[in-house]
Amino acid sequence: MSEHVSAHVSTLCEDICPTDIISTVEFNSTGELLATGDKGGRVVVFQREQESKNQPHRRGEYNVYSTFQSHEPEFDYLKSLEIEEKINKIRWLPQQNAAYFLLSTNDWKVFPDPNITPTDSSLPCWHSSPCPDKTVKLWKISERDKRPEGYNLKDEEGRIRDPSTITALRVPVMTPMDLMVDATPRRIFSNAHTYHINSISVNSDYETYMSTDDLRINLWNLEITNQSFNIVDIKPANMEELTEVITAAEFHPNQCNILVYSSSKGSIRLCDMRESALCDNHSKLFEEPEDPSNRSFFSEIISSISDVKFSHSGRYLMTRDYLTVKVWDVNMENKPLETYQVHDYLRSKLCSLYENDCIFDKFECVWNGTDSVLMTGSYNNFFRMFDRNTKRDVTLEASRENSKPRAILKPRKVCVGGKRRKDEISVDSLDFSKKILHTAWHPSENIIAVAATNNLYIFQDKVN
Amino acid sequence: MLGKGLKRKLEQEEENERKKMDPHQEVMPTFYCLQRQTVLTLSLSKLHSQPAHSDPGLVRRVLITNTLRHIQEELRVEAVLLPQSLATDIKDSFTSALAEIEDLCPAVEITSSLTNSHKFRQTEPVHESMESNMDSALFQFTPSLLDSAQSLFNHCPSLLADFSLDDFLFTEIDNLLFDNTPCSSSPSPSSGSSKVISMTFKSDLNELDHIMEVLVGS
Repeated sequence: MSEHVSAHVSTLCEDICPTDIISTVEFNSTGELLATGDKGGRVVVFQREQESKNQPHRRGEYNVYSTFQSHEPEFDYLKSLEIEEKINKIRWLPQQNAAYFLLSTNDWKVFPDPNITPTDSSLPCWHSSPCPDKTVKLWKISERDKRPEGYNLKDEEGRIRDPSTITALRVPVMTPMDLMVDATPRRIFSNAHTYHINSISVNSDYETYMSTDDLRINLWNLEITNQSFNIVDIKPANMEELTEVITAAEFHPNQCNILVYSSSKGSIRLCDMRESALCDNHSKLFEEPEDPSNRSFFSEIISSISDVKFSHSGRYLMTRDYLTVKVWDVNMENKPLETYQVHDYLRSKLCSLYENDCIFDKFECVWNGTDSVLMTGSYNNFFRMFDRNTKRDVTLEASRENSKPRAILKPRKVCVGGKRRKDEISVDSLDFSKKILHTAWHPSENIIAVAATNNLYIFQDKVN
Repeated sequence: MLGKGLKRKLEQEEENERKKMDPHQEVMPTFYCLQRQTVLTLSLSKLHSQPAHSDPGLVRRVLITNTLRHIQEELRVEAVLLPQSLATDIKDSFTSALAEIEDLCPAVEITSSLTNSHKFRQTEPVHESMESNMDSALFQFTPSLLDSAQSLFNHCPSLLADFSLDDFLFTEIDNLLFDNTPCSSSPSPSSGSSKVISMTFKSDLNELDHIMEVLVGS
């Protein structure tokens, strides 16, 4: 892993506007496309430029390819509630023809209109049981660079012609036009989830995918929208007995019968769909015994897993909890293979982080293309990379002040006590509102995408 | 060292002291109780309020409820082991926590918003409202929680009159602990209010149990 990462900065949105907070980032399987979703329900797809011999220094930059609104904000007049949609997760389907397909899953925010005094004093809140349905949508993104010209019944502006003026028939001809990229919803998968959807994962059979909420995992056929098959259900008979929820799930990269899901108690379960139709009983349970010397009131909260990812090889699992990233061998359940400290200096601040709710932040984690480097985000717009082979790690910052195009990212360091060196930042100076939750790594090259609130940064390895 | 009169930052955890912690030890370090008090208060207020930032899932609620349950279990164990001295502590923990909650969430407003959010859920399709009883279950705790709090306050007015919350947390609790531990040579209470406390503590402990049962639904 090269520590010299040349920064090519591409910003998504100039203004700090709450609806533009990026909530998901994902490369497609070739790395040609990069999709982002935001809290305003908007999807923006970037496409990598073809590398040109004439301009070798422009090493395939990403430019906006398509932008579409996944759903329009609604207003419920009866209850004086405004309903906004936020994109939760995006997953690309493998490319099979000229068009591109992606799945998006949505969340709903409900809040009262401040201009209307409702009779009910409804509080702005999230509902675990939504008013609009929780859906997964399949989008087709395709190009149009030709259009038909020479209609008989319409003129060039589209106005209907008087039939009495038509004396001859002609065949419309396809003529070139400026490239247009259309995004159309091709499937809407609904009525299967009551609770908040936290993950979607496309299966390696390219026919099915799964959607996961707090208590259930459902399996869908990509062609069929009116039914899904429930494969995991951990809802207790009495909701007051609920002590554990599902936090993330993913299919194995090549074995289409294997899936894993993580929980709020820090455990990972691997299920084999061949064993039984309902996978409530796991095949494997990955759990690390608690370290008694680190016990605190917050032990359970910080053990909650926010993300789980198979390695590209399928041999390893990576999990992210509040303070660490762990690598598990799929064949060893009793403890992780490797544990990496992301920001252990926060361990003495857990009470404050509990108070301001930061302890519930859900950080994601990603593998690089060769499964040798791990990446995850932190606070103060920092993100961390861990090299599994050299055991070296680096902290980098994604911020406009520090990143100019072609600049080299400088490693950052957090000072945990004692003398602070000139370039270091002390723990108490960290900005906890600047959190990097979402990052993505190109499937084969050293190109990364980092979402910092409402800005997207794309960094590439330095050209030698 | 109990550090009499020494103000400590509540946010800091003392890892070294925690390592020496033995559940069977009879003397609890002050800061551990202080932090437990803080976490208890925070957890109760979090369950009552809506999160400032968006978190639509159940994860947050489940984790907070589990944290509360853990503290409840600890306090229950302590109450059994040391009925005389630390039952006072337990009761005081809850009293002050509930007092803070009372300040933050006036009873009238909470009741009306609960009613309305319940109405909101009733207009939804049947299968959805049945599935959302986790939400309604947690919301319904609140009216009975406040009722219990009221009755608890009625039982021990002298406790609240003698101590303000600040006094209690930073100074008096040191005295109480030091004076009331079984290890100390004079087990009889040195302050007048603790006499009142010991007379009524049994019924208050039952109130306490009731409150916790209602709160976490266990």
